[in-house]
Amino acid sequence: MRHRERLGALIVGLMLVGCQGRPHSALPGYSAAGLYDLANAYARAGRPGMAVLNYERASLLAPNDPDIEFNLRYVLQSRRLPLEPRGRMARALSAVSPMAVSWIGVAGLVIVGASLLGGRRTARYRWLRRGALLAGILLVGLTVGNAVLLWPKLHEAVVIRAAAPVRVSPVPMGDALIVLPEAAIVRMRAQHEGFVLVETSAGLAGWASRADLAPVVPLR
Amino acid sequence: MRTTGARCARLGMAAAFLLALPVQGGTPVVNATLDPVRISVGESARLTISRLGTSLESVKLPVVPGLEFRIIERSERPEVIHGASLAATILVVRVTPQVPGTFIIPALTPRSQPLVLRVDPDNGAGPLRGPGGAVAGAPGAAPAGTGEPGAAGVQMTANGSAFLRLSGPKGEIYVGESVPISIELGLRAGVVTSVNGLPAVTGGDFTLLNLSRQPARSERIIDGKPFVLLTWRSVLAAIKPGAFALAVETPLTVRVTARPLRESLLEDQLGDPFLQNFYGATVPKDVTIRSPTYQLRAMALPADGRPAGFSGAVGTFEISSDVSPATAAAGDPLTLRMRVSGSGNFDRVDSAMLAHLDQWKTYPPKSSFHARDAIGFQGEKVFEQPVIASNAGAQTLPGLTFSYFDPSTGRYQTARSAPLRVVISPSAADAALAAVPAAANGSANPASASLGGLRPDHVAAPRFVASLVPPYLQPRFLTIPPLLGLLFAGGWLMIRRSASDPDARPGGRALSRAAARALGRMQAAARAGDTASFLAEAREALLMAGPVMAGPAEATAQRAQGREGGPQYGPDREEIRQLFALADEAKYSGAAPGAVDFARWTQIVRSRLQSEGTR
Repeated sequence: MRHRERLGALIVGLMLVGCQGRPHSALPGYSAAGLYDLANAYARAGRPGMAVLNYERASLLAPNDPDIEFNLRYVLQSRRLPLEPRGRMARALSAVSPMAVSWIGVAGLVIVGASLLGGRRTARYRWLRRGALLAGILLVGLTVGNAVLLWPKLHEAVVIRAAAPVRVSPVPMGDALIVLPEAAIVRMRAQHEGFVLVETSAGLAGWASRADLAPVVPLR
Repeated sequence: MRTTGARCARLGMAAAFLLALPVQGGTPVVNATLDPVRISVGESARLTISRLGTSLESVKLPVVPGLEFRIIERSERPEVIHGASLAATILVVRVTPQVPGTFIIPALTPRSQPLVLRVDPDNGAGPLRGPGGAVAGAPGAAPAGTGEPGAAGVQMTANGSAFLRLSGPKGEIYVGESVPISIELGLRAGVVTSVNGLPAVTGGDFTLLNLSRQPARSERIIDGKPFVLLTWRSVLAAIKPGAFALAVETPLTVRVTARPLRESLLEDQLGDPFLQNFYGATVPKDVTIRSPTYQLRAMALPADGRPAGFSGAVGTFEISSDVSPATAAAGDPLTLRMRVSGSGNFDRVDSAMLAHLDQWKTYPPKSSFHARDAIGFQGEKVFEQPVIASNAGAQTLPGLTFSYFDPSTGRYQTARSAPLRVVISPSAADAALAAVPAAANGSANPASASLGGLRPDHVAAPRFVASLVPPYLQPRFLTIPPLLGLLFAGGWLMIRRSASDPDARPGGRALSRAAARALGRMQAAARAGDTASFLAEAREALLMAGPVMAGPAEATAQRAQGREGGPQYGPDREEIRQLFALADEAKYSGAAPGAVDFARWTQIVRSRLQSEGTR
């Protein structure tokens, strides 16, 4: 009786934590459609930096939306900026939205655990248990792969000014190495006060003013 | 005095010459005199060699290290000796020492005496300070001294060839205070051939700052003689408090003549340097000219009332400030400028401007100086400080302050600028984030078709999420996998424990309760002294505990209860067999055994039940 009570309390607690982990629907938050429409508006207004930024944000929520990908590519090509192509594996791993991938990973964990416990409890249904274990591992792997794929994108920023000087040191008086064009996508390596250490797709690194950049994932 | 001494020496030598004349016989009679016998470095002495006859070829000039011999005159004149007129040849040699010391000029003939020349170190005044207006270094020049002020009010060097004048310093100055001065060097045209260096302050009590490299050049007539005036401007500063003597000096190269003073006077009358050089032989000479000495008192800055931000600026200053641009976005750098203008020691003008300011990110300022004169005494120093506003809205930058010491009032002053207002708009990134809900709600226009190659907007109802970060990377969501792990680990432990728990085995819990009840009945029979009941209950309890096969009766009983299999014998086999025998005897004979140790049999049965329960 005592063990049943403990097990029940644990399941209830897990459900509560899972509910807290879900985004709060009452918050205004972000939506893929809203970000996409906002990006379109910026693109039409001649602000490619903000357009690319919002396309990138929309693609985080809807990675397989063809309109987002098409318009993002269109704006970058109009600015003669490169867009890194995605491979098959990347497309496969990002086929599902990150929200769904999160719960798929949880389901995979549950399946793996249940199959292991079942094997401990009884020796029957051996092939069924092995199949469930493999399926659970695949689901967890899908989540991990999605995280690995998205991790660099979570540390990207878009140049939102007409010209963003990249300096050798994180001070306004530092000498400028290069000047990034608007809508260029860079990787953020570190931050120091009002400056961000960025790395371009060509491998050049330097310090850019934070006011000239907008992170794809807003910093809290 | 030197002239009189020279005459005496000359007469003495002539007398010796006459006395020695009969003795010399056929050997040439050569006499040498040195005048003067004591000079300073930079001066020259005159060596006069006389010989009876008209030939001086046999006389060779001596060689003395540190002395330079140069023939400047050769002449013949009659000498009257004992009433007889004899021809004599006179050779005048200029002797110029290179270093101080005592030099011995060897005898020119075996019978003559060596000459001694004492050379003192240069006293700084050089040969230009000889009285009488002769060019320094000329024969017969007097010891160095200070010349008298000329008709033009300048303190001329003794020979009138140059003067150095310092003007500007006042009697009392403060340490660190910059005092503009001018240094005027007057050069007699044709006499001073070159200026070999910039004027420098004697001693180490003062410093000259920003001395102009190219002096202003002009011409001036002083006492009827043409002079070239070179004027330097500079800033003088005392480096420590105290009373000090101030003078400046400049190295020069002048042309000196070896002719006597009376002959040099004739050269001066010629006026033209070319004629002077043509008439009289001159040689270049390096000398150092020094200005008259000023007495200055340097006072330390007062310690009372010294502001906290005082950086050592001494002078008269005023400040102003501005910021550009006046409107900017949050995160954009602004440039805050403070202009300090006036006169004083701008090298000590410094300011940290706004070191710490809420809602602003400040950086160390940099400064630049724009002089309004050649010596940097007056000008404007501009401090530029990058500042970045972190919040949007109308912001006010506080006024700036600058503290300095005003030597005219003898007090510290603090200049203040007015506060500056700037308007900071939200940054572009923040504005984009704020526009997301509005765009999601309102900008989804179905009619907005593809424009310029873009695909149209989406009209589907948006689904909002709180964060762009995937849920599996959010901290709250990341607590689920560990909790699941704990859950399954707990399940694992529960299964494992149930496998080893006797109560959890089928019938185990019921067995335990029945055994407890049997033991209770055994104890009750023991208390009542009912041996038959005690043995019967003990036999029943052992049968419940497990197979303890001892005999046909027990085997039959166990088979009847369906408990075959398993271990048939335990470690207390004989005792249990004996107990079964007693119980069978009591049951089938109807007579109870005589003496039964209730406690011992109870303990055996309890041990048997416990050992069966932990198996």
